[in-house]
Amino acid sequence: MKRIVVFVMLVAALLLASCGPAAATTPDACKADLGCAVIAKGQTIKVGYAGPMSGDYSQFGIDMSNAMKLAVAKFGDVNGWKVELAVQDDNASAEGGAAVANKLVSDQTFVAMAGHAFSGATAAAMPIYEKAGVPMLSPSATNPDLTTKGSKVFNRNAFTDTDQAKGAANYLFTTLKVKNLAVMHDGTDYGQGLANGVKADFTALGGTVVAAEAITPGESDYSAPLAAVASKNPDAIYYGGYNAEASVLVNQMKQAGLTKAIFFGGDGIYGKDFLTKTGANGEGVYSATLVPPATDTIIAFNKLYKDTYGTDAGVLSAYTWNSYDAVGALITAIKNVAVVSGDNIYIPRGALVAAVRSLKQYQGIAGVITCQANGECNASGPVFYVVKNGQWVAATK
Amino acid sequence: MENKSSPRFPLLLRVSRYIRPIVGVIIAIFLAWQLYSVIVVQHNFSADTWVRFGLSGLILGGMYALIAIGYTLVYGIMFMINFAHGEVMMLGAFGGYFMLELLRFIPMPTSANPNLNFLNAYPIVSIILAFTAGISVSALAGYLLEKIAYRPLRKAPRLILLITAIGASIFLQNLAMLLFGPTRKNVINPDILDRGAGWTWMVSGNPVLIPYTGVFSLVLSALLMIGLYLVVQRSKLGRAMRAVAQDKNTASLMGVDVDDVISKTFIISGVLAGAAGVMWDIHMGLVNHYIGFLPGIKAFTAAVMGGIGNIPGAMLGGMFLGIIESIGPAALGIDFQLKDVIAFSILVLVLIVRPSGILGEKLSEEKL
Repeated sequence: MKRIVVFVMLVAALLLASCGPAAATTPDACKADLGCAVIAKGQTIKVGYAGPMSGDYSQFGIDMSNAMKLAVAKFGDVNGWKVELAVQDDNASAEGGAAVANKLVSDQTFVAMAGHAFSGATAAAMPIYEKAGVPMLSPSATNPDLTTKGSKVFNRNAFTDTDQAKGAANYLFTTLKVKNLAVMHDGTDYGQGLANGVKADFTALGGTVVAAEAITPGESDYSAPLAAVASKNPDAIYYGGYNAEASVLVNQMKQAGLTKAIFFGGDGIYGKDFLTKTGANGEGVYSATLVPPATDTIIAFNKLYKDTYGTDAGVLSAYTWNSYDAVGALITAIKNVAVVSGDNIYIPRGALVAAVRSLKQYQGIAGVITCQANGECNASGPVFYVVKNGQWVAATK
Repeated sequence: MENKSSPRFPLLLRVSRYIRPIVGVIIAIFLAWQLYSVIVVQHNFSADTWVRFGLSGLILGGMYALIAIGYTLVYGIMFMINFAHGEVMMLGAFGGYFMLELLRFIPMPTSANPNLNFLNAYPIVSIILAFTAGISVSALAGYLLEKIAYRPLRKAPRLILLITAIGASIFLQNLAMLLFGPTRKNVINPDILDRGAGWTWMVSGNPVLIPYTGVFSLVLSALLMIGLYLVVQRSKLGRAMRAVAQDKNTASLMGVDVDDVISKTFIISGVLAGAAGVMWDIHMGLVNHYIGFLPGIKAFTAAVMGGIGNIPGAMLGGMFLGIIESIGPAALGIDFQLKDVIAFSILVLVLIVRPSGILGEKLSEEKL
């Protein structure tokens, strides 16, 4: 009998010791679905970025993560906890996207994702973040389908490909007075989505699409598809894809007999790389971009970027400013929901997902971020740039 | 005991004898009909466009042929597929690229043009130097590859050699990525070989540009192929190579140093791959660590198509594949993204109708 009493007392003491103090300090918010990220003093709060850090498209990943590091340095303090940018290489591929997402969500201190950079990788990674309750705010994944799938976690502050295609078709038809257009794309979600959008919008405006060709990305010779396009004598070629292939196309256009046609690309061709690879052939090529007009904040940011990395902002890709804003907005949302209790900071995952989706009037450097119910957070459309004397400049017409 | 004279499935055998020609005829009829409808009935493209397709196919085919010969030479002698051969070509392309870059940075100012560099002051010497550099790098790579990766496995089963070759291919690709970085590099030609320049040929009232770089590549690959043919058919080394290809043991009994012949075969295939690599530099103008992979696979396809082990077969297969790739999608009226599908479908068809390839002879038990 005595032994039973001692045993019962021991068990009661153990129970009190184990769950008592913890239960007293865990915030109520953590009782909701998905729970909380619990981050102890001395640990960092991780915000992820995933994009191509190696390979043909690495300039995007390097530029975006550089801009994000500046945002982390500026805003990265949540009630005394430091924010850390976890940069991952997803090779811009769907497989890479899923692998990176699985790796990141296994880390308890990883709470939000400023990516992925490319649409294909983003689509593959979305379900994994959805399950783990990690909100995303991508500065560059522009495929229209991404926000039509009812995802709770996916948001973006880039304009969509639908908006971009509409803008480009309108610019081609109204401003450049193009009547016969050829569209080409690289068969990716992004490129094909843009090209099909431009094709539909351009036809709706009253123009004629005389040729449509798809190419295989990664090759060095596109003379055959260009010859097929040239036989239809288009006034302009719209290309949905990235700079690696676009520079090959532009270099081979004249050989194929397209001496007068205008080359018009999506935001994926913008950047310094295109200029160095095309040289004189690149003159007069158009591109849609997210490069904001030069205001005081932009000029200050550009100086900071140049001082830190030695290259001018926006030279590597057009997503520099958006990337900075994405991380800034995510950290603001984290600050709004984080609860400090004892030696830990608690970040309720469900509440963070909702907080990112309900961002309103966040004043970034590239514009205002206000998220709609479907996750579209950018209201302004594309700006068009053209290559003049070896530089990208805002198209004046 | 089974009776040898009566097979177990006589009916099936009798039918299967007719299946191949029947499949061949059906496909030939289908292709002819499709070609007729696209070219004559729909009239998608005018004559000048077809000339452009053919031209880009010929130039590509010349490069494929040079690489394909490397596969076929090595296969003929060792009965192994050297999957790292595309990477040997890539290293040659880098050799040529760095030589051209180096020459571009040697100033040669004259009173007329203070910005003149070696590349444009002596363009022909520069091109010869670039080819020398590319060919030396590739020949050395081929030699070392055989010495380090394949020679220790001379007595091993052939499957192990194949896997080693794939491993060597991945190793060389990643080595190049680490050494030279992952981004594509622009190759700047001397002005006389400007990629946009060429002769203009009027076809049905439209100008067709025949680029100097393309003609240059095509002529050079033809010369190299003739040179190789002379080496194999006329020289002492060629006779030794043919002897080793026929029967290693007997050749060594006749006093042929088999290891030496194999080494030299790898060097010769490296020379051709290096030349193809520098042609790639000059005509395509972009190099990175990945450029050898796809042409390597395509050239392997070409070698199989022509009959692996057969040198004229590899030349023919390379040209054929290059032309199919650029004309095929247009001729069949389908998307250009599907050109690889067409190329590989043709390979499957050739293998169904003629398993030994277009020019291949019936292979002995050992070679299979």
